Formats: sequence, structure tokens, C-alpha cells
Amino acid sequence: MGPDAPVVLELAGITKRFPGIIANDHVDFDLRAHEVHALLGENGAGKSTLMNILYGLYRPDEGEIRINGKLAHFTSSKDAIEAGIGMVHQHFMLIPVMTVAENIVLAVEPTRAGVLFDVGAAADRVREIAEQFKFTIDPYARIQNLSVGQQQRVEILKALYRKADILILDEPTAVLTPQEARELFGILQRLKAEGMSIIFISHKLNEALEIADRITVLRRGVKIDTIPREGATEASLARMMVGRDVLLTVEKTPGVPGKPLLEVAGLEVFDDRGLEVVKGVSLTVHAGEIVGLAGIDGNGQEELIDALTGLRKAHAGSIRIAGEESSGDSAREMLETGVGHIPVDRQRRGLVLDFSLAENLALRDFRHAPNSRLGWLFPNRLVARARKLLKEFDVRGGVPQTRAGMLSGGNQQKVVLAREIDRDPKVLVAGQPTRGLDVGAIEFVHRRLLSERDEGRAILLVSLELDEILSLSDRILVIYEGRIVGEFPPTVSEEELGLAMTGGGRGSGEEAA
Amino acid sequence: MTTVDQPVRAPAIAMTTRRIGIAGIIFGLAAFWIALPPLTVRSVVWPILVALAALAAGIWAVREGERRIGYGAIFSAIFGVALGYFATQTSLGHLNIVIVWSAILAAMLRYATPLTFAAIGGLFSERSGVVNIGLEGMMLMGAFFSVWGDVQFGSWEVGILAAMLAGGLLALVHAFFAIQLRIDQIVGGTAINFLALGITGYLFIQIYGEQGTPGSIAEIPDVRLHLDKIPPHALGHFLDGAIGQLNLMIWLSFLVVVLASIVMFRTPIGLRIRSVGEHPRAADTVGISVYAVRYGAVVLSGMLAALGGAYLTLGFVHSFNEGMTAGRGFIALAALIFGKWRPFGAFGAALLFGFSSAIADRLALAWGTSWQTLFQALPYLLTLIAVAGVIGRSIPPAAVGRPYKKQ
Repeated sequence: MGPDAPVVLELAGITKRFPGIIANDHVDFDLRAHEVHALLGENGAGKSTLMNILYGLYRPDEGEIRINGKLAHFTSSKDAIEAGIGMVHQHFMLIPVMTVAENIVLAVEPTRAGVLFDVGAAADRVREIAEQFKFTIDPYARIQNLSVGQQQRVEILKALYRKADILILDEPTAVLTPQEARELFGILQRLKAEGMSIIFISHKLNEALEIADRITVLRRGVKIDTIPREGATEASLARMMVGRDVLLTVEKTPGVPGKPLLEVAGLEVFDDRGLEVVKGVSLTVHAGEIVGLAGIDGNGQEELIDALTGLRKAHAGSIRIAGEESSGDSAREMLETGVGHIPVDRQRRGLVLDFSLAENLALRDFRHAPNSRLGWLFPNRLVARARKLLKEFDVRGGVPQTRAGMLSGGNQQKVVLAREIDRDPKVLVAGQPTRGLDVGAIEFVHRRLLSERDEGRAILLVSLELDEILSLSDRILVIYEGRIVGEFPPTVSEEELGLAMTGGGRGSGEEAA
Repeated sequence: MTTVDQPVRAPAIAMTTRRIGIAGIIFGLAAFWIALPPLTVRSVVWPILVALAALAAGIWAVREGERRIGYGAIFSAIFGVALGYFATQTSLGHLNIVIVWSAILAAMLRYATPLTFAAIGGLFSERSGVVNIGLEGMMLMGAFFSVWGDVQFGSWEVGILAAMLAGGLLALVHAFFAIQLRIDQIVGGTAINFLALGITGYLFIQIYGEQGTPGSIAEIPDVRLHLDKIPPHALGHFLDGAIGQLNLMIWLSFLVVVLASIVMFRTPIGLRIRSVGEHPRAADTVGISVYAVRYGAVVLSGMLAALGGAYLTLGFVHSFNEGMTAGRGFIALAALIFGKWRPFGAFGAALLFGFSSAIADRLALAWGTSWQTLFQALPYLLTLIAVAGVIGRSIPPAAVGRPYKKQ
């Protein structure tokens, strides 16, 4: 390792234009043997485009790719695979109904008697590679029965089976729980020790600093710089990514709690399979207060949010909004009572991606004047209203007529925020409001939540990110297996929170995923 | 969020419940069967007793949680006792005319064969992700051009080749529209069917005119096996009647089913076809050409469907008529769904449909054609039940009907 290690891969002057934008503008990039090189940038900075060019999925308009000093021309991913490049896509390229072994050997199948697919040999080979890198995986398990973390390992094994020595990981932690991310980092260290060179694409600063040997930052298709990890800080990387100073931790004054606006008592909720996953939750959120609900994914948070927003009927217990009994109300009634909802999955539940921004912004209020009258919708008024909101919430890359699906994640989230806040809700339920967003957008969302708190709204912040919980909350509740197991002030240490999130004193080392 | 639901594994006890439920289904069928030749019980008591056993097993299975099989048994009991009652009330003479098991089985195989060929064809197409509603048209092309090739060259072998060529070409048109131009595959397939109807109808009138296809067609030969020598005599007699004289194409259809199963589930080619039908982008990223696989699969499906058509003309009715496939391509598609997109499943469904056609034919011998017409609706009814999920949910390949666009 180190600066003397040979360069295994070089991208020189790569330019790729799409109608209306230059995704990559003369980007240079090189990868040395046995290093982890992080490619850092905001969403839409051109990271994925660059890697898709490297993997043979796009053809560059200008520029060269050299593998071990030799010029390479990739016309399909097949060429890239043959050159020893493996890619773990952000959305896994796995076939759910097939087995692990079938997915791994697909297109390079071992055969028996020349024509028959040798399942046994495939499974043996998979086990062999897995053992070499100390994974555990059942070759005969079906992908659809695996956790996301395990599926990602299958993707890595797929590259290893094809004898890749360069591995590209596209936003590998975006879909993982914090525990799974830890495990992934362990695996990457082992791969590096075994001689692999790794490109790690991310927009998360702390991850880049933790795993990378060198870091290259892209901004709007242009390479800003490549720097060694030593000496880099989150602040310096954020400045390179965004092009200005970014407040990574928001300035926060203590909240001034008023009267209780959200009161939940003894709430019990079942999940889709009919299992009780919220087991008697009681909590109160006051006006002008952010209450953070911390917990590991799958401890009942989603069902709790559903119950609070009327999307799921509670089995027992009461919900009071501003003193008004609201349990059993439909989602629309909850809305009318004054609950705003920032859903966890903004693309599936927050927005209709095929609708325009104006339509999306009117999803809550289309029924009322001035948007409609006597069942007659006024599209022009929707557009006028949207224009005002897009400006106020600094939504970029779209006019009222733009399809919501065309926006970046951060701007999509701003649209959701605009819609929910514009209704002037008393209670705002925010589910992982910065999931998948880049630093600039995170900063915007955090500031906005705080200013809404100061407006006197009661905010329940449900998040898996401890940083977020700690920096925004006035009080912190921890949920574990459907129960509130502790309440902490925002000054609590991460360790103490982490312990509570894994079931209190029952051993913090135990795996809770 | 990132939790993945683990499937709920059925405990061991469920296996015995399943068995009892299945036994219930069999008892229900038996309630009907004992009233038929050769047993021919004449008292309605026996079917009722046997059906009660089926009913009990069914109710027990439902209460133990095997709802689908349990309801199957209950349904089978009701069905069995109704038909059993009907049989006991029928004159023995009529029953003996209708129920000649060896003849019914032979007829079942004859009716099932065109469906089998087309269904296996559909299997390849749909497993690769292309809906092939044009099977009907491809079969019709096979039916016409087999006769044309046969008459032109005086040989049924040439007829079969001509059929496969014509079916393959029509499938290529479908493939071009579905894969290259990415049009809606249902609409494209429907157009294919009308196209085939037009082409064959026009050529038929142009070439054969008023007289129809000539009587001098070289027929695909039957395979004569002398099974009546097999002891005991009753068995030998039965086997000889059922499969002693089947057309070569029927035996070929069995071979096609076995081969399709091996190719689809035991070879790399099959793995690749299935991967393209499930997740084309995943297949693409490992270097499989999605377009090539789909073209190949669709053209093969057209050739197989055409074989079904060739059997229909050269092996079964020995002539061609306009629109003579009469919906068999669609029934084959239903058999494919009924059989859960698996070769033996589709074959089983084709046999079931063939069986009901055979029964319908024989009913006509005793009672005339109104019963036949009623009974011929049975395959459609069965298909509806199957599609509604009674036979277990039939899950199509994930990407079927969705055009693939390379990045």
C-alpha cells in the first residue's frame, strides 16, 4: 500500500454528456493496488455515471480507461468483468426466487457432461470462496429469504467468483442497518488484505473517513480533488462536496415546551402478519419540542408511525391530538385534526413519482378551496401555489410541472416537507427525514425542523441515525421490541443510548438485527 | 427499512394434515368413480358413504389450517356425490357406451397433444419474460403450412419442417415488436393472432379454394405397439386400447416435455432464460444478452406451437380449415398458468383439458351434442378456478410482459 503501490486502474479525462447536463466533465481518477479509494459527492454529482462508464454500462463521450496501464474499451459489462472489475450495485442485481449459488454462477456456470448445470459444483465453489473471506452463507438459500446485509454479501461473492480484483461498491451502506454496515467494513478490510482494490462510492463523510485510504471528491460532474485520508476532516470534505461551509451540527437553543399536543397512552399495534409489535407505548410531545425516538430498525417504529398518522388501526390505547381523542380516526381525519407526516419511504409513500410537483404538493389539500370547488379542480391555482412553495423551500431542479421522480432525493424531501408544513400542522411525525440525503440537504431539513419547533409545533422524530437524534432532540425516548425502555436528555452519550437500544443491560454486544 | 421477513415454515404436523386433505380429494373422486364401469355400483348409498369420508377429511384439514386442500376435498366430495348420484340413475347401457376407459385415455392424449406443444412453447417464451398470447396464431400457421408443405412435397416430414418455419417466422415478428419496439405484448400477440388468421385464410382460399385441402395428404404415422400380449389379459387389452396405437407426434410431445424440463431446470441455458425472465437487468450486468435470449425463446415457442398445429392437421384430422385451432392456443396458455409455468405442470393441465374434451366426445355418443357442448366448457371453468388461486397461487416470472431497455 501507500503512494508507491502500482496504479491498477486509471480514468483520464472522462466526459459524459446527457441531454441538458454534463454528468462527468473531464474527470481523472486512479486506483492503486490494495487500496480503498472513496468516491465522494452529493447525489447527482456524477459518481454513479462515472462508475457505470467504468463498468461498461455507459460509453464515455471523451476520455480513456486504462487497466494496469493498458488501454481498455468496454462496450458491455461483460468486457469489464473480463478485465477483472466487479460491481456491487446500489439496487442489488439478484434474482429473488433463485438460490445464492445460482445467482453467483449465473453466466459462468460450472457444467457436467458439457451441457448440464452442475449445481453441486456451484455450491462447493461458493462455499470455498466464502470460507476464504470468512463469510458464512448457505449456497442453497433463496435470495428472497436473506436479509439485505446477506444479499450484499452475495453480490460481493458474485464479483469474487468472477475473479475480480477491482471491486466497485455503489452506496453500499445506504440500505444497511448500522450493524450490517459495521460487518461490511470488516469484510472490506479483509478483501483489501487479500489483495483487492476497492472503489467505495458514498455521500457519507464519516464512512469515507473510516474506510478509505484516499478520497476523491466530485461536485456537479467535476473532480474537485483527490486527498489522502490523513488530514481530512468531515468539515473539509463537506466544503469540497458542497462548495461552501456546511454546518454539520446544527446550532440549537433549548426548546420552550408548551402544552402537550400529542399524547399517546398504552398504544398497542399489530403488524401485517398480525403480530403485536407495539406493546403499550405511552409518550407525550409538547408544543415547541422535538422528541427523538431512537431504536434499531424493526422494533415497532414503522407501525407506531402508521398508527399515529391513521394509516393503521391501533389495537388498543389512545391517541390525543391537541387534547382531542383521535384513536381510530382515518388518515384523512388525522390530517384534518392537525397531524403532518414525513414518511420513511418518500418515494413510495411520500410522493407520487409520476405526478407533477404541483399535483404532489396538493395531495393533501386538493379537496379544499382554493384548489378546488364543488369537485372541480383548478390546475392553475395548484401551479401558482406550487411556485410559491418551491421557492420558499428552495427546491431545485424543477418547476411546478416537473415530474416528482425527476428530482434528486434531497429535493424530493423538500417537496414533502413543504407540503406537510404548509398545512400548519400541530403535530409533525418525521420518519427518518434525512435518510439517503446528502450533507447539504440534511442541513436544510435539520434547520427547518428546528425552526418549525420554534414555531410551536410538536415534533416526533423517529430516526435510526443516532447523530440526528442527539443533535435535534430536546428529549430522547428509546424503543426496543415495541416498548419505550428509557428516556434520556440530549446530553446522553452514544454508548448509553446504544446500550438501551439493544435491550438495556442485557449485553450490548448481542446482535439485535 | 431493512428487515426481511423470514418465511413461516410449516411444522411437521402439517404434513399429515396435508396427506389427509389429499386423501379427502381422492375419496371425493372415488365417490364418482365407483358408480362407473367397471365397478358400476347401482346404489346411491355407496357414493354417499365415500363422499362423507371425503367431507370429513376435508373439514378436518380446514380446521387444522390446510385451508386450500381442505376446501379442495370438500369441493371434491360434493362434486363426487353429485356425479355419483347421476351415474347411478343412468342406464347401464349408456354408462357402458360412455365410459370405456382405454378409449377415453387415448382420446385424452389426442386432445392434449396440441395443447402440450403450444404450452411448452409458451413456457419458453414466458420464462424469458415475453408474454406470448400469439400461440394461437402460431399454431394456426403450423396447421396450414404443414398441410401445404406436405401436399407440395408429398411428405409429412417436409410438412412438419414447413410448419416449424412458418411458426418460427411469425414468432420472429412477435419478438421484433415485443423486444425491439417494446410494444405492449398483449396487443402485439393479439395482432399476431389476427395476422395468422388472415394469412392462412387467404392462402387457403387461394390455393385450395372450394374443394378444401386434398384427401391425399401424407399422414404422420401412428406408432403401433402390440401391448395386448401383456398379461394379464385385461391389463394388456386396456394398455393396447389406451396407448397401443398413438400418433408419432403424441410420443414426440412426451419427449418435448421431458426435454423442456431438463433444459429449463438442469442446464445453464435454462438458468439464463429464467434469469432474463425474472430480472433482466441482473442478467445483463453479468454479461447475458437479454435480447438474444428473448429472441431465441420466442422463436422456439413459435416453432413448438406450430408443431401442435402440424399434429392437428397431419396427425389428427387430416385436413385444414379456416380458424381450425379454435382457441387451443389460448387453452394452452391457460394450461401453462394452471401448471405454474413448469413443463410437467403444464403437461398435467393439458392432460386434464384433454380429458374433459374426451369425456365430452363420448357423452355425445349416448346423449347427443347438447351435453357435449356443456362439457366442453369444463376446461374454461377449470382455468378460472386455477387462475383464482384454488390450485395454489401461480406466480408468473417477475419480468413477464415487461419490455427491457438497455441502459
